[in-house]
Amino acid sequence: MRRITSAINPASAEFKTRAARNRARVAEFREMQRAARDDRPERDIRRLEKHGKMRPRERLELLLDPGTPFLELSSLAANTEYDGESPGASIITGLGIVSGREVIIHADDSSVKGGAWYPLSVKKIVRCLDIALENHLPVIHLCDSAGGFLPMQNQVFADRYMAGRIFRNQCLLSKAGIKQLALVFGQCTAGGAYVPGLSDYNVIVRGTGAVFLGGPPLVKAATGEEVTAEELGGAEMHTSVSGTCDYPAETEEEAIAIGREIVQQWEKPKKWECQRDDPVPPHYDPQDLYGILPDDIKKGFDMREVIARIVDGSRFHEYQPDYGTTLVCGFANIWGWKVGVLGNNGVLFNDSALKGAHFIELCNQNNTPLVFLQNITGYMIGREYEREGITKDGAKMIMAMTCSHVPKFTVMCNGSFGAGNYGMCGRAFDGRFMFAWPNSQIGVMGGEQAANTLADVKAAQMKRNGEEVDDTVLEALRETTGKAYMEQLSAYYATSHLWDDGIIDPVDTRNALGMAITSALNAPLGTPGYGVLRL
Amino acid sequence: MGHDTPPFKRILIANRGEIACRVIDTCRRLGVETVAVHHLSERNARFVRLADASAEITGDTPVAAYLDAEQIIETARETGAEAIHPGYGFLSENSGFARAVEAAGLVFIGPAPDTIDLMGDKIRSRRFAEENGVPVAPSVTGGEDIDAFVEKAASIGFPLLIKASAGGGGKGMSIVEGKQDLLTRARTARSEAERYFGDPTIYAERYVERPRHIEVQVLGDGQGKVLHLFERECSVQRRFQKIIEEAPAGHLDPALRDEICAAAVRLSEAVAYRNAGTVEFILAPDGTFYFLETNTRLQVEHPVTEMVTGLDLVALQLDIAAGRGLPLDQPDITLTGHALECRVCAEVPEQDFMPATGRILHLDPPAGDNIRFENGLREGADVTLDFDSMLAKLVVAAPDRPAAIDAAKQALERTVLLGVETNLNYLARILSHPAFRDDPLHTGFVAEHQAALAEPDLSPHVAARVLMAAALTFREFRTLAFDAPEPYASIGGWRN
Amino acid sequence: MKLKLRLNGTPHEMDIAALKPDLELRIDGRGHALRETGGTGALRHARIDGEDITYHQARSGNRAFLHLGGRTWIVEFVDPRDAAREKVQGSGDIRAPMPGVVVSVEKQPGDPVTAGDTILTIESMKLQTNLTAERDGVLAEILKSEGDVFEKGAIVARLQEEEDGDA
Repeated sequence: MRRITSAINPASAEFKTRAARNRARVAEFREMQRAARDDRPERDIRRLEKHGKMRPRERLELLLDPGTPFLELSSLAANTEYDGESPGASIITGLGIVSGREVIIHADDSSVKGGAWYPLSVKKIVRCLDIALENHLPVIHLCDSAGGFLPMQNQVFADRYMAGRIFRNQCLLSKAGIKQLALVFGQCTAGGAYVPGLSDYNVIVRGTGAVFLGGPPLVKAATGEEVTAEELGGAEMHTSVSGTCDYPAETEEEAIAIGREIVQQWEKPKKWECQRDDPVPPHYDPQDLYGILPDDIKKGFDMREVIARIVDGSRFHEYQPDYGTTLVCGFANIWGWKVGVLGNNGVLFNDSALKGAHFIELCNQNNTPLVFLQNITGYMIGREYEREGITKDGAKMIMAMTCSHVPKFTVMCNGSFGAGNYGMCGRAFDGRFMFAWPNSQIGVMGGEQAANTLADVKAAQMKRNGEEVDDTVLEALRETTGKAYMEQLSAYYATSHLWDDGIIDPVDTRNALGMAITSALNAPLGTPGYGVLRL
Repeated sequence: MGHDTPPFKRILIANRGEIACRVIDTCRRLGVETVAVHHLSERNARFVRLADASAEITGDTPVAAYLDAEQIIETARETGAEAIHPGYGFLSENSGFARAVEAAGLVFIGPAPDTIDLMGDKIRSRRFAEENGVPVAPSVTGGEDIDAFVEKAASIGFPLLIKASAGGGGKGMSIVEGKQDLLTRARTARSEAERYFGDPTIYAERYVERPRHIEVQVLGDGQGKVLHLFERECSVQRRFQKIIEEAPAGHLDPALRDEICAAAVRLSEAVAYRNAGTVEFILAPDGTFYFLETNTRLQVEHPVTEMVTGLDLVALQLDIAAGRGLPLDQPDITLTGHALECRVCAEVPEQDFMPATGRILHLDPPAGDNIRFENGLREGADVTLDFDSMLAKLVVAAPDRPAAIDAAKQALERTVLLGVETNLNYLARILSHPAFRDDPLHTGFVAEHQAALAEPDLSPHVAARVLMAAALTFREFRTLAFDAPEPYASIGGWRN
Repeated sequence: MKLKLRLNGTPHEMDIAALKPDLELRIDGRGHALRETGGTGALRHARIDGEDITYHQARSGNRAFLHLGGRTWIVEFVDPRDAAREKVQGSGDIRAPMPGVVVSVEKQPGDPVTAGDTILTIESMKLQTNLTAERDGVLAEILKSEGDVFEKGAIVARLQEEEDGDA
C-alpha cells in the first residue's frame, strides 16, 4: 500500500486560521468535559467523604489495569438538559481493561444528586448494555445510585426502552454467556436492586452497600416496620442469609480487589480473527487535522487528508479512484486492523452511491470492518439525477450498509445531513460505535438551508393570511428559526441526547477507533446476506 | 602420611549434614569407605548421596534417630563398618555410646570413654584442672547456709556471676556488682533455681567483664603424647552460640598464646588424652585466663585451624583411632596466615535470631583456593526446625587478619543462598564493623553493638531496585506488565 | 491498581505508569524504568533506571528471594485482597462467629491485651468458645455482659484504633 500524498501546507494562512479556530473549539470541548467530569457541589463531595465513599472516577482507576487506556463514552450526555444538574447524565461508561480482559464499565456517579437516574441516565445505561450485547463485552457495574429521579418518572419508567430495558438487556447478556459483575457501593433500591440481582457475580461493601426492592422509608410507609438500611439489605444479611450477594467487602478498595480477582477467573473469549498487520503510527501528524477542518460548515476539505492522519503509516489502498470521486473508498489499517474506509468528498451522486454499495459488498466478502468518515450534506437532487435513479442508487447503498455482517464504525467529522447521514451509517443503522468531532453538525438539513426553507414556509403562510411580507420580515424570520435550529444542529446537542457515543478530539480518533474495533471483535461475525437491491 | 593403606576399610558416620559431608570428604581422599545413617526425612540429603552406602534409622523425631545408640551400632555391624565417627553434637560426647561401640568390637573415633566422663562433669573437670596447674575461675558452691555462702562469695571479688548449679541456657543467672546486693540476689537465685530446675544449689564465680572465648585444639595419641594446634577465638556469639570463629586469635600477645596452649596440653597430657579435643578458656582483659571446659570431640569450627596449620584434622583422627599414633611433632605444627569462619544460619537476626524455615531454592556458594563452604545443602531440600539452624560454614584464609576479614566479607557478599532467611547480611555487617577489626573481641560483642549491627535504613534508590527485581518474579506483576492485550498496551494509559 | 510489596517488613506501593515501549513504574511516588534483558533460571539480567544489573532470584509462593548488590533480600507480595483488608484489620472489632450467649467476660475496658488473649467466653449450641484479640492493643469497650444474648456477626467488643493500620 502506498502512502497518501498530502497537499496540505501547514505554513499557509488558511491552515493557520483553521487550526486556530479548531484548537479553540477543542479547548472549549475539553473544558466542558472537564467541568462535566469534575465540577461538583461542595456538599455532594462532603456527603461522599462522610460515608467513606470514593469518587466514582477514583474507583475506576483502581479497577482498571495499570498502564492501559480507558475510552469513555458520551462524556457530555445531558449537557443541554436538566439545567445542567446531571453532568454526563450521572453515569460513566466506557471501554477498559480489567485483569487483562476487555470489558465495558457502567458506573453510577454518586457525586451528582446521589447518583439518581434521569431519563438520559437510563438511556446511557441501556446504550452501554446494547454495546455489550452487540460486541459480546462483559460488563462491570459500579452501583451507587439513589434510584430513578422521581420527578421525571414519566420519562424513566414505563416505556419499552426506559428503565426496564436495562434489566431486560441484563438477562439477555447472561443468556448469551456474556458475564456481568456488579460492585455495590451504595444503595440499590427498587429497580436498581436488579442490577446486582441480575449480574452473574456481585460484591457488596459492608456499611454503605445495600440492596432492597424497597428502602426503609418505603417499608415504614407500607407496613409500619422500622428497620435500618443495613439490617434490611446490607452486606451481612445478603451474603450470609439471603444469598443475594456473593462477596462481602469491608472497604471499597477490597470490593474492587475482589472484583478484579473475579474477572481474573473468567475465560478469555475467542475473538473473530480480523486481518491484522503490525501497527504503525500515521506518517502525517494528527495535529494537522486542526488545520484541515474548515471553520465554516459549507467549506470543503479533502477527506483523504483526514484519512492520512488516522490510518497506520498514512497508507491507503484506494478503490475505484477515478469513479464516483465524491466518495473516497479504500482499504487501510487502524492500529493494525484491516478496515474498509468510506469518506465523503462532496455530495453523493449516482456513481458514488453505486461505488459505495459495491465497496461495502467487497468488504463484506472479505470480512473487513467498515469505517465511515462523514462529511455529507446529502445525495444530489434534481431532475437529471432522479431520472438516473439517484433514489434507488441511494437505497442500494443504504441496503448494503445496513445488511453488512461486518462491524461498522462511524465518525462524524463535519456535516451529517439528511439521507447522507443514513447512507453513511447513521445512528439508526447499528454501527457498533459512533463518535463526533466537536465541530460537527447533524440535522435533516444544513442550518442555512433550514433557515431559508422554514422562513419561506412561514412567509407563504403569512401571505395566505393576507399579511405583508417584505425583506426585513423575511430576514427576521430567518434569524429566529435559524437560531433555534442551529442549537439543535450542534454536536453538543446531539451528544447530549445520546445520538452518538461521544464527542472526541479529532486527534484521538485513531485510538478511539482502535479500541472500538478491537472490542468489537469479541462478537462473532453475523450471517452474510442482503435484502433486495433495487437494481 | 607414610601409610599406603587407608586407616580403615569402612567407617560409619553417626551424624548428618555438614559434618557428615566433611568426614566423607577426607575418607574419599584416603580411600576409606563410608556408611551414612539418616532419618527418613533426609533420605535425599547430600551426605546420604555422597556416602558409599547408607541406611535408614528410625526415631520418634529425626533427632531421636541420631540419638539411638543401639540402632546405630547395629547398623555399623550390619554394614561392615569397622569404626564409627560421631561428628559433633548428638552422641559425640556420650560416654555410654563410646563404651557400647567399643563393647561391640568397633572403634570409637574419639577419646576414651573415661575421658569423656571426666571432662563432661563440670565439677570434676574443674577440680582436675586445678590439680594440674590449669587456672580456674574462683567459685563458691552451696547456698543452704546462705550467710556462709555470701561470705565466701564476697571473698572472690566483684563483680560476681551467680548461677544455678543444675541450670543452663542463661536461666537463673545474674550479675552482682557489690556486696550490698549479694544477700538478696543469692536468696532470689536459690528460689529461682528451685523453681526452674528443681535444685536450689547455686554457685558464684568471678564475673569477667568483656571476656574472650579462647580455645585450644589438641590432639593426643592416647599414649601420653599430646600436641596443640594453636588456639581459636570464638567470642562473637549470639544466644550463647558461636557465629564467628578465627585462628589464630586477633590481638593476642604471643607469650600469652604460649601460656594458654601449654596449659591446654598440660591438662590433656594429665589424662593421656586420645584423639581430638578442644580446651576452652575465658580470657580476661587483664591477661588472666580461666579454664572453662574441655570438649571431647571435633568442633564445628575446626576448619579454621586446618587452614592455618595446613593439617587435616579428620585424617589425623582416623590415624589415631586406627592405632597409627600421631605422625608429627609439635615443631612440625606452624601457623601461616589467618582464617575466619562464619556460621551461616537459617534465622532472622532482627527477631532475636529466631530460627527460620523454608527450602533451599537456589545455592551458589563462593569458591576459591582459600575458601571452604562447608555444607550439607542440596537445592530443593527443606529447611525445618528438626535440626540446628546452621546451614553452612563459610571459611576463608588470607595472609593476615585484615586481609582475612576483607576476604570473608567479600565471600559472604558473593554467597547466593535463596529460599530461607539467613544471617548472611548480618555476618557481613559484623565483619564491616571497625570494632571487629580494631578492638579485642569479647563475648558481649553482639550485644554491645546491637544498634550498629541492626539492618540499616534503605535508601529509596536501593529499595526501588530490589522491589523491581522482586516484582519480576511475581506472576501477578508479570501478567500486568507483559501480558496486557494489544493494542491496549501500546496505546498506554490514554484517556479521552 | 497498585501493587503492594513488603521489603524487610516495610510495605511499598508499586504502580505501572506505562507498558510500552518500556515498562515505567512508580514506586513510593518516584518514577523508574525497568526492562528484562536476559537470563534463565536463578541468574537474571535487567536494565533498571538505565543501569544494567545482574542478580539471582528464586520465588516460593508469595516470597521472592533475591541476591543483589552483595546482599540477600526477601520481598513479599501482598495479594491485593489482603492489602485492601490490612487497612481495616486494625479496626479491632471482635465479632461473634455465631449467635449465642455470653458466659463470662475476662477483660475490662482499658486492659492491655496481646494477640490471642481471651476477651470473653461465649456459649452457642452447647459449645463454649473463647473470643480472642486478633492483635496486640488496648480493649476499648465491651458491648455485652454476662448473660447477654447476641446474633451472629454482632460486635461484642472493640479494641482501640491503631495509629498505623499498615504495619
